[in-house]
Formats: sequence, C-alpha cells, structure tokens
Amino acid sequence: MNIAVCVKQIPDPAAPGRLDPNTFNLVREGKLVMDDSDSYGVEMALQLVDRAGGGEVTLISMAPNGETSGLRTALAMGAAKAVLVSDPALGGSDALSTAKVLAAAILRNPFDMVITATESTDGYTGTVPVQIAEILGLPAVSFAKKVTLDGNKAMIERQSESGYDEVACELPAVVSVTAGVVEPRYPSFKGIMAAKSKPIETLSLSDLGLSADQVGAAGAREAIVSLRKAEARQAGQIIEDDGEAFAKIIEYLEQLKVV
Amino acid sequence: MNFAFSEEQQELRNSVRRFLEDKSPISNVRKVMETESGVDEVLWTQAAEQLGLCGIAIPEAYGGLGFGSVEQAIVLEELGRALAPIPYLSSVVLGANAIMLSSDEEAKSKLLPLISSGEGRVAVAMFEKPHDVGVTECETKATADGGNYRLQDTKRYVIDGQVASDLLVFAKGPQGISLFHVEAKSAGVVVSEQPSLDLTRRLAIVELNDAPASLLGSEGSGEEIFERLRDIACVQLANEMMGGAQRVLEMAVDYAKVRIQFGRPIGSFQAIKHKCADMLVEVESGKSAAYYGAWAADNDPEELRVAAPLAKAFCADAFYLAASENIQIHGGIGFTWEHDAHLYFKRAKSSQLMFGDSSYFRSKLATSIGI
Repeated sequence: MNIAVCVKQIPDPAAPGRLDPNTFNLVREGKLVMDDSDSYGVEMALQLVDRAGGGEVTLISMAPNGETSGLRTALAMGAAKAVLVSDPALGGSDALSTAKVLAAAILRNPFDMVITATESTDGYTGTVPVQIAEILGLPAVSFAKKVTLDGNKAMIERQSESGYDEVACELPAVVSVTAGVVEPRYPSFKGIMAAKSKPIETLSLSDLGLSADQVGAAGAREAIVSLRKAEARQAGQIIEDDGEAFAKIIEYLEQLKVV
Repeated sequence: MNFAFSEEQQELRNSVRRFLEDKSPISNVRKVMETESGVDEVLWTQAAEQLGLCGIAIPEAYGGLGFGSVEQAIVLEELGRALAPIPYLSSVVLGANAIMLSSDEEAKSKLLPLISSGEGRVAVAMFEKPHDVGVTECETKATADGGNYRLQDTKRYVIDGQVASDLLVFAKGPQGISLFHVEAKSAGVVVSEQPSLDLTRRLAIVELNDAPASLLGSEGSGEEIFERLRDIACVQLANEMMGGAQRVLEMAVDYAKVRIQFGRPIGSFQAIKHKCADMLVEVESGKSAAYYGAWAADNDPEELRVAAPLAKAFCADAFYLAASENIQIHGGIGFTWEHDAHLYFKRAKSSQLMFGDSSYFRSKLATSIGI
C-alpha cells in the first residue's frame, strides 16, 4: 500500500509570526518546521502501510526556498521519501493554488490513499483536502478519527458534532485526519540519521506542467482585504467582599438566567 | 574540533524534549515520586522502545544504536531538565559502561541487549560508607565458589537499586578488587530503600549474604574499571545537571519578568538582574565543560581524566547555585512544597554529592594536571 501524505512546513509556532503589511500574508522566511497537525497523518500512514504489510509513505509538500527541515522531521518518523514543490512563482498562493500544486505532485505516482491534516496551523482554511480530492476526481472523507483497511476499502470513523459517522470508502481516496486519530511517534536518533539520506525530490512549477498564471499571487482567487486586531477581552468586575459579596454573585447569575 | 551540535543532534534534542514535555511534565514527576518504585514504567518503555534512548551509545552488535557519548549527553541533559523519573543514569550510563569497560564478552552479549531494550535495569553498587569516593577501601568480600563467587557485605547509595534486575558489585576477591554480576532476585540479596534527599531519584541499600555472583572481566581489574566508570558517569551526570540548571534559570527569569513588586517587575531591580546574570554565566560555562567531557569520553581517554573531574565539580556547583538562586528569586512561593523549585534544589544537592563532592573532584583535577 502506497500512501501520499501532504505535509506543510510552517514558521515555528513558538516564535512570534509576522504578517506582510501589504499582502497580509504570513511571512515565511528562514527555517520552517513541520506543522504539528501533519504529524498525525504521517503516523496514520506509517501504521496503515505497516498493517498492509508493504508499500511506503511519500510526503508531498510545497514550501518557499527549497525548505526541507520540516520534511526531515517526517522522514525521521519513517516516511520513505518526499516530493517538494518550490518555486518563486508560488508566493502568495491561496488555498486553491496550493491544492492544484499538491494534486499535480500527487498525480505523478499512483497512490492508494492521500492523507492530509484537517487544516494547517498557520492558515486554517481547512479547504485544501477536499479541493485536492476534487481536482484528482477522488472521494474525500474529512475529519477521520479512526482509519482501518478492509480489502480495497477504507473504513473510517468520521467525527461529527454529536458523535461520529461510520464511512466505508473505495480506494484511492483523500482522507483528512483529526489530531486524535493516532499518537504520533517521537523520532529516534536512528530515524533522524536515516532521514539524512532519504530522497527529497524538488520540483518547480514547470516540472508539474503548471504555469505561473494558474497559481501563486497571479492565480489566486482569494485575497485578504483587511486585517484588524482581535477584540481584547473586557476587564472583569471586581467586587470587594464586605461579607455580602455572595449576593452580588447570585444577582449576576440570575441576570444570566443560570439560577 | 567542532563544538557545535549537528542538525541531527539538535533534532534528537527536540525529539526527546517534546517526548518528555508531553509524557512527563512535572505533574507526572510528582505523581511518580509518590509511588513505591519511583519509576515511570510507561515512560521508560516508550523511551527505550520507540525513541531508542537506552541503546543510543551501545554498539549495534549488542542491540544498541551505536552512537556515542555526545548523543548520550544530549539525552541526559533533557532528562535532567525534566527530572524524568526513569533509571537512565543508573542502568544506561553506569550499568552499560561498567559492562563495556569490563571487556567481558559473555556479559556484554548477555546484558547489553537487555539494557538497550529497557527490559533489564542494571544498578551498579559502588559505595559502602558515607563519604566513600573510591573503591580501594571496599569491604565487600568475594570468595571463590567452584567456578563462581559468593559476595558478602552491604553496599549503600545504590542508584535505582530498588528497580534493578541485575546488580554489578565491586568487591574484594583473592586477587584484589573486581567487578561482579549478581542477579537482583538471587537468594542472599536484600534490597531496601535508603532514605535520600532527592525525591525524584531513589537510592538503595543492597545487603549481600553469601550472594551468588559471577566475575566480570579479569580478577583485580576492579579499580581500573571503577576509575574509568566514575569519569564517564561524572561527565554524563554533569550534562544531566546542566539540563536541570538551564531549567531553573528559565524558571527564575520567567518569574522575574512577571512578579510585580513596588510597582514594577522584580527583574528590573539590579539585585535580581545580577542573580540572573550570574546564573547564566555559571550555566553556560558549565555546559561547555559538560559537552567537552562528553567529547573527551569518546575521543581522548587521557583528556577524560581531566575533563571529568572538572565537569563534575564545576557543573555541580553551578547547578546548586542556580537552584538556590531560583528559590531566592521566587521568594516565599519558592519555599513551598507546591512549587517545583525544591525538586530541582534537592536534585542539585544530591547530585553535587554523588560520586564525591566538589572539593574532592577539584583535588582530583589538580592531581590529573600535575599540580
């Protein structure tokens, strides 16, 4: 079983992020790290391949400046190889551009399954997985909290607001997994060292047969038009307790109609 | 000579740190220190099996990953930062190195794979009386019994002895001091708890009453093994201490930024600034000494005789200073049971005395460099 896992490399969430004042896009310079939410998909894929008894996990990523640090982390977990699309023309890509690029990279090899996270930690659109499925003409199952295989079918428990749906889905398919699906492994030093020599194929737009006007800022159908600060939380009310403060609390709760 | 960590070594550090932050936050350490064994079995198993931490410096031929002391030191620094309640210093550092130093092929192929997989926990019984620093005064007797030996007497301050599957014991035989292997569950072995200051690392008393033992290496090689083993252990302990020291420095600085007194953060007062700056200087210098020791352990055996006592004495005092100043900067809250400062302080104090105090190691250093 061969699985492609989409992995996003993002600015380290521990460091304060910066937005470009003109485009309002996140500034992506310097070292990037693997989006933590993708580690679940990588782990899920590794476990599925392991259970299937053969095959490999290929990482698919799009990042500026040929950045591979985040991919090395996923390779250290056990993925076999990676495909990175890096092209200056991809700057300012919206979700759909990203999906077009990832889909084109996925298409180059046959896969039994494409796994993604539910959404990225730096963009939060949550639309890329289904867009990839649409472009590839594959079924999409989102919010998977459990994935098992049954012959050529994936049996998926799909998280919903009130519980979960049980979904059976023909393969190949695009599955987006939630953070609870499996516990990602911690890379061992052996894995980290092995990752050094695993192949990372770097592709440009032309390698994928895409032109610059279809993607990036030029092809984007989505733009951030304005930004404003999140509303600050309003200050609470402080009541000095003179022995009667409980009455104020009850009054307040009555106002909220909770008592 | 390159003193910087490679990208891969940095990744190892990240992986171990993330693992310990997720699986053994200080709330877990507190929970485990209340248990009978004082060891987090789940953490230990995952550390050994998934991250391969126990076999990191054990040769591949004996079931390890075959990396070196520097990688081992990175792991210890992170374990020390988290006060991780697992028998790593005892089994992986002392146990595995004692076996490797003995050059006993049979013991190596039998015990090293067990240490590497985490199934076996090997504790090394080095000391008997308070203030013991060496092994020449060792009173534990080994008498020949057919092809094997019997051991008699009591060893104290045995790190993690309470969870050991195997014991390595220094004892005096007919041909001088030697290293022996004793199965912890053998008849004639009684392990009991030795009350100790550090709540996150247990010590044990091991009574040997005619306990069956087998010799490791050759008879009379014990002193040489002991000296070398202590050097390696001192270097790795120094790295562990620096992990803890870095953590208390961070705790102190974070607190100094948020604690408001007289209308401003206490970190803006010169007295507090000086304390933090002094801690930083000590911690940074200590790390250099500890890293250098780890490098020497693999690359320059002669230099290790200098680097080990230096790292032990310097890092122990640096950690103790940092742990004490952390409490001072925290003020009243730093003295409470609920605050984590005391856990580090107790670890610092007991590590400072482990294998010998700082003046002992400074005099050893002086001897090593011929002054």
